[in-house]
Amino acid sequence: MTGPAPRLDAVDVGYTYPGDTPTQALESVNLTVQDSEFVALLGPVGCGKTTLLRILAGFLRPTKGAVRCDGAEVDGPSPQRGYVLQEDAIFPWMTVRENVEFGLLARGMPPAARVEVSSELIRLIGLSRFADAHPKELSAGMSKMVEVARVLAIDPAILLLDEPFGALDAQTRARMQDELARLWERRRKTVLFVTHDAEEALYLADRIVVLSSRPGRVEADIPVELPRPRSLESRFSPAFSALKRRIWETLS
Amino acid sequence: MERLKSQRLMLGLASLGGMVLSYTLLSHSHLLRPEIVPPAREIAVAFSELVVGTRPPPPMEGDVHAGHQMHSSDHVGTLLQQGVTLQGSLAITAARVLFGLAAGVPLGILLGLLMGFSRRADDYLHPIYVLLRSVPPLALITYVMLWLGHSEAHRLIPIVYAVAATMVIPAYHGARDVLGTYVLAARSLGARRWLLIRKVLVPAAGPTVLAGLRYAVAIAWMTAVGSEMLMSENGMGNLIVGGGLWASRTQTKADPAVVIVGIVALATAGWAMDALARAGTARLTRWVR
Amino acid sequence: MLPRNKKNNFFFGPGIRTRTARGLLSLGALAIVYGVAAEIGRGRLPDRIWLGTHYVENVQLLPPYGSLAEEAVFLLQSGILLSSIAVSAGRVLLGFMLGAAFGILLGIATGRATRAEYLADPWVTFFRFTPALALLPLYVLWFGYGEGTKILLVASSVAVVTLLGAHQGVRSVPRVYLDAASALGAGPGLAFRKIVLPAALPHIFASLRIGLGLAWVTIVVAELIDARMPSLGYLLTLAGGYPRVSTMVVGIATIGALVLAFDLFALSVHARATRWMRRTG
Repeated sequence: MTGPAPRLDAVDVGYTYPGDTPTQALESVNLTVQDSEFVALLGPVGCGKTTLLRILAGFLRPTKGAVRCDGAEVDGPSPQRGYVLQEDAIFPWMTVRENVEFGLLARGMPPAARVEVSSELIRLIGLSRFADAHPKELSAGMSKMVEVARVLAIDPAILLLDEPFGALDAQTRARMQDELARLWERRRKTVLFVTHDAEEALYLADRIVVLSSRPGRVEADIPVELPRPRSLESRFSPAFSALKRRIWETLS
Repeated sequence: MERLKSQRLMLGLASLGGMVLSYTLLSHSHLLRPEIVPPAREIAVAFSELVVGTRPPPPMEGDVHAGHQMHSSDHVGTLLQQGVTLQGSLAITAARVLFGLAAGVPLGILLGLLMGFSRRADDYLHPIYVLLRSVPPLALITYVMLWLGHSEAHRLIPIVYAVAATMVIPAYHGARDVLGTYVLAARSLGARRWLLIRKVLVPAAGPTVLAGLRYAVAIAWMTAVGSEMLMSENGMGNLIVGGGLWASRTQTKADPAVVIVGIVALATAGWAMDALARAGTARLTRWVR
Repeated sequence: MLPRNKKNNFFFGPGIRTRTARGLLSLGALAIVYGVAAEIGRGRLPDRIWLGTHYVENVQLLPPYGSLAEEAVFLLQSGILLSSIAVSAGRVLLGFMLGAAFGILLGIATGRATRAEYLADPWVTFFRFTPALALLPLYVLWFGYGEGTKILLVASSVAVVTLLGAHQGVRSVPRVYLDAASALGAGPGLAFRKIVLPAALPHIFASLRIGLGLAWVTIVVAELIDARMPSLGYLLTLAGGYPRVSTMVVGIATIGALVLAFDLFALSVHARATRWMRRTG
């Protein structure tokens, strides 16, 4: 091995849910994410994608194998890995700004510095007008972007996104994908993005890791060499279609 | 999961046992005045006498502290002379509670559903309902008594009133909540008035209403005991204050042992009725996710 | 498909003006019905009533508005009504604050800690099903008659309700919020202050509102039983002794108005504190 340690490194990770009928969610997953890489984790519903992401975030301890982030063993949640949950987890009693600043507050940053960071991020996701509004005024898509901005505010080493746009309609979804892509072009964060939508994965990622259905294993690792920034044209390009076809074949 | 449950049960039992034990030790330690904190044995004696309904002949005179022996004989003795037993009083109060529920629940639900489903009814009735709800039922007891004389009815009316006023709220909100989505969905499937009410509105509003029912049960017990304390010659409220009527009640020398027996009995009965209501609710709303 | 009966439909219903008019109309109708009933009843309703132990004479079961107004003016001018209100409302407020503080703190504590909850569980269950009024004779024995007993009784009934509210509120904080907070690096202290408390707040406020209503129920009974000092319960007892129905009706109406005012205040505080919620009302 040459070069620096990878951002995220999962070795032989397995997970079995305890209980009366133990369920093996993950068999043995090996996954490496390099710095500034946008990786999509793609798989059918119920393949253990969310389980894997919760392990990487530190909310679950793998029953087998280990996870390292920047060379250090993962043993619990940490702001080093910014995790956006699949569920709506925007805090409805806080304003948009308070939501974005929450992680900074946890770190003990003084108010003036917090405002500086949050204003910049809120502007970046185009919500300056709503900075002091409560989430009930936002659409579902924009709430999700606030959650992404909230995680970006603490400047994590890697961003773990669990189907952030899963509950949105197709058009909003496409718009949010553009927003996220734009955000990523600006910030070049390392991202691991879980989705069950092949097109979403292709549009956003540098590399797609396909998981098999339960118990999850890495089925394929497909580089996406489409030029950036991507646009509507990319979605209808022959290269896009060819990759999509390849993914479909892997999945079925 | 199993382990957690058994651990929970063990800790709960330990906590109960510990409290009873520490009370026993404390009350027998002579640190506290027995007419304020009755010894555990006295509570047990009061309990058994009130259940059996007679007093056993005094065993050995010298064994008992003269002071509180006289004190406790007062209250328990008076009750026993009147032929009062714990289970008898509990049955009377429970009957009042059940009557209050039987009359008040349908009344409250009907009014709540009517106001919830019809905006017109809501507009006309809500202000009146808010006015009536604001009057504590037991504040009415003197006035109701003038109308109905000293009878059973004026003890029951506050209970019915309290239960009905309580049940309106969940029925109203249950109805309002289901109006939006379910009614539109059912209407678009062609459901007409009766089918709509029977098959959609009532089952969908059901869980909210039943959740309110448990609260109404607690209110019914509270009101029943309150009205018995104020004016009744039987029931649990009467048992714990030891008879008398109106202001004269303030003069009675109640025995704390009897009061504690009464409170424990009331809590147990309330819990049992709530457990029944909960079991019934669980059966009726099995489909709730 | 639009519903056939558009006039009586919830979604396309009449505006706020019509609704207010309807409310006023029904209240007015009620007032008129009472006035007419009092007129018809005059001389026709029985005025001699058996109260179980004795007869009372000269009872006016439905006092007409004239005598009600006269009575209200008398009670106001003599200062009895205002001092009664002050005493009763003071007891309610003090008992409410004590009971709410105790109940909320204990409810949060039992809601937070798993072990403590298991230990407290049987006791929470026990007091939950104890009608707080039944504690009155015990308090009288312990502390005698007087302010302490009444305030303690009010506090007890409020404490039971708020304890349950706070307990359930803390228990039902959605897991996702706690996960999200810890992923953002929040420690237990911050998570408690910024996540658990605000998320539990709607539950706590709902229980506070119920508790305020119960506080009034409790104080009325306590004052009816120990009717000595000037208070609203004393006023009712006094009226019951003569009996003087107009005093009684004014007393009942005063209690109703106070409960309503307290409830509206609680409602507005509640609405203000939970403005962030998705669904209002």
